[in-house]
Parts: sequence; C-alpha cells; structure tokens
Amino acid sequence: MADDLAGAEARGRLAAFVRDQLAASSVEVTTLAPLRGGAIQENWAADLAIEGGQRPGRHALVLRRDAATRVGESLGRAEEFALLRVAAAAGVTVPEPWLLCTDRAVLGRDFYLMRRLHGTAAGHRLVREATLGGPRDALAERLGVELARLHRVTPTTLGRFLAPGAPGLDFLPLPRQGPALDQVARYRDALDRLGPPRPVLEWGLRWLERHAPPPGELVLVHQDFRTGNYLVDEAGLVAILDWEFGAWGEPMADLGWFCAKCWRFGAVDKEAGGIADRAPFYRGYEAESGRRVDHQAIYYWEVMAHLRWAVVALQQGDRFIAQRDPSLELALTARIAAELEGEVLSLTEAQP
Amino acid sequence: MTNDQPAGEALLEAARRLLLDELLALLPAERRYDGLMIANAMAIAGRELRDAGAASAAAARRLSAFYDDATAMPEALARRLVVDIRAGRFDDGPARERLVQLLRAELRDRLAISNPKALR
Repeated sequence: MADDLAGAEARGRLAAFVRDQLAASSVEVTTLAPLRGGAIQENWAADLAIEGGQRPGRHALVLRRDAATRVGESLGRAEEFALLRVAAAAGVTVPEPWLLCTDRAVLGRDFYLMRRLHGTAAGHRLVREATLGGPRDALAERLGVELARLHRVTPTTLGRFLAPGAPGLDFLPLPRQGPALDQVARYRDALDRLGPPRPVLEWGLRWLERHAPPPGELVLVHQDFRTGNYLVDEAGLVAILDWEFGAWGEPMADLGWFCAKCWRFGAVDKEAGGIADRAPFYRGYEAESGRRVDHQAIYYWEVMAHLRWAVVALQQGDRFIAQRDPSLELALTARIAAELEGEVLSLTEAQP
Repeated sequence: MTNDQPAGEALLEAARRLLLDELLALLPAERRYDGLMIANAMAIAGRELRDAGAASAAAARRLSAFYDDATAMPEALARRLVVDIRAGRFDDGPARERLVQLLRAELRDRLAISNPKALR
C-alpha cells in the first residue's frame, strides 16, 4: 500500500476537490487511513466534515484508488464508478456512489468515493461464524435476488438505468464470438504472455472451447459475484462490492462463479458460496428474474470459473515477478493455480 | 562445492517453527494473517528446495516418453504439447486418456510442492 496519502498535503487536496464538487463552504478530511483487503485496488477509510453545499454533515466514506500495478481484466476507477451507479439504479444493494476524480493532480491516480458501511466481507469468517449474515438460506436467496436485479441491465435496457448526463458503459466491449469463446481466446492469449506452458489449463480451455454454449441473452454481469465480495452484518446482506470486473455476458456465468468450489472457502458441501445449498440461491434468482436457471450452463461456467481464477492468480503472481510489486499476498496467490488446475481436471473428467 | 550444513531446507523449517510456535502469539491480531502467509511461503520454498529437482527431471522423462522422443529439449516438448492440445489432438478416445494421465502426474508433483493439502 502506497503511503503517499498519509500526509497533510494529500488530505488538503482531497478536501479542496470535494469542496469544489459539492459547492461546499468548507471540507475537512478528519481521517484518511488504509483499509485491509483488495489485492488489486487500494481502499482507504475517509471521514469528511462538510459545511454548506449539497452534502453538509459528517460522512464516513471509502476512497477507492487505482493500484500502482494492475491485472489484465480489471477496469479502472472511472469505469467501476459508472458500473456502481448503474447497479444502484437497477436496484442492486451497493454502497452509495459519491464522487469520481480523474484529475491525477489530486491524489496521483484515479479514485472515487462511496459510502462506508459496517459489516464484514471476509469469506473465511462468513463460512465459519454462523451468526454472521443472518439466516443462511435467506442470505443465499437474497443474493440470488440481487443478481437477478443486476441482470435486468442489458445493452438494450441500459438507458433506463443511466442518470441524466451520466456516461454510458461504452467502455464495455460487446462479445465477438460470444462471451464463452471470447474468454477462451483471452485466456489463451494471457497464458502465452505469461510464458511457462500450463498444459492443464490448456486442456481446460480446449474443453471450454468444445463445450461452449451457443451465445444467448446478453446482460450486465458482475464477474466477481462471490462470497468475499459482499458485505454482511448480523442481520444479513449489507452491500455487493467490487465491481471492477463488470462486463456484458451470459447470466448463468455469474451463478456459476458464485457456486464454484474455489469460492466456498473450504465449506465445500455448501455449494452456494460456502454459505447454503444451491436451492435457495437459485430460488431467489428465478423468482426475481423470471428466468429458469440452466444447470448444464452453470456447470460449464463453474469450469470456466476455476480456469479464469487460475489465470488471474498467475497474473497476480506476475505482478510480483515481472512488475516488481513486492506484495507477499500476490506472490502466494500464484501458487493457488495448481489447486485450481486440479479442479479443472476433475470437472472436465467428470463430464466428458 | 559442497554447501555448508545445515541445508537451506532445514534452516527454513527451523525458522518457520520458531515463527509459528513462538512469534505468532506475540503479533497483534491484525498482523496474524501476515505471519501465517510468511509461514506458508517458507513451507513452499522448503518443499521446493527439497523436491523441485526430482520433480522437473520426472516431468522431462514423462514428456519424452509421451512423445517417444528422447532427443528434444523438455521445454520444446512442453510447447509442442500446448500446440497439440489447442489443435484438438487429444480430444477423445485413447489419446485423451493418455493426456489426462500425463496431466494428473504433472499436477501431483506441482501440488506436492505448492499445496500438498490439495492432494487426495
């Protein structure tokens, strides 16, 4: 974590930026401290005391800033902020988006502010501590509902979810050969760039190429919708986080990612994200979306999930190896790849 | 040259035990995870020091048996394998079975170093 935001100068520039944006008479940054979590982005706790203008009062916010190095697929802060606003407009429970800053003179890199909420997102705690997240079937069902709300956004309906004057999502490319085959091509390309051959992943990609579902309905997918990326408290869901991988894709892809074994945090018998059975999660999704879940497609996307996470893990490791990001967490992430390869091989062999 | 003793692997293991058995309890709660990550990194490095040589020799032997080619470099055979998989040369039948067997063997050796708990 960079410490260039630690001094009074950074706070002063942040305060001036917020003051100008909100037409406030004065803004004081009372706290600016790093938050844990987020291997890719930097998150800071930012407390503001604002007088006058559009949002007077004391506000507890998160400042989310581009990291110094980045992973291939992840979006920048400006794009993530646009997605967050669309998700909020679609009725998904997210932290209220506040302000985006793309003026690098303020804090060196792009960042945005959103409301800071109480709760925990830590997946390993959620699967072990029964009091977190409220009744688990209800939580799983609610998550299905949240996902269905996001999937209401399509290239055709997008206009309904854009605030007047808000930028669209033009930065999200439309799939060329369909989301599945596009991903296969992208991950092959990523493996070529990373260097050392990974034959198990190549095998997985070949399987995914041969079994790709025909391109269907295109919706806005989160692409990292899983335990660990939503905030809960004792009562239940607080917010869906981490929108940096949003894309146009197949609805079942998000369900497969959520249920994939690699995101159950060791609670492998609870197939919906390590927190519940699949049934309540699917029930919530079907009720809210009016769509039927497609079990075969979900299986396919679970194979893709392990494949994709393995590629991302290797890319994280590459930030350590080639881009000289000294984080031990990144370095160790690359070593998860072998375990994910094992899952790819089991899944492709179980359903030839 | 003979390396001085004790070997690097033994040093790593002793250091890791000291970290886990005595230092971890002294760390503030919010740094405990960092302590565990360090111990994990040391364990992987220790296993790699011990096993990586044999594992990479075994991988080379497997590849040369797979392609019945004793002269090509292992790196060249590994690249050929990637090309062949992408081209669909092992999609079905006995070719597929042979490939999956090869992949399982490679995976076993990789996991034995990176994450032995995942071996089952």
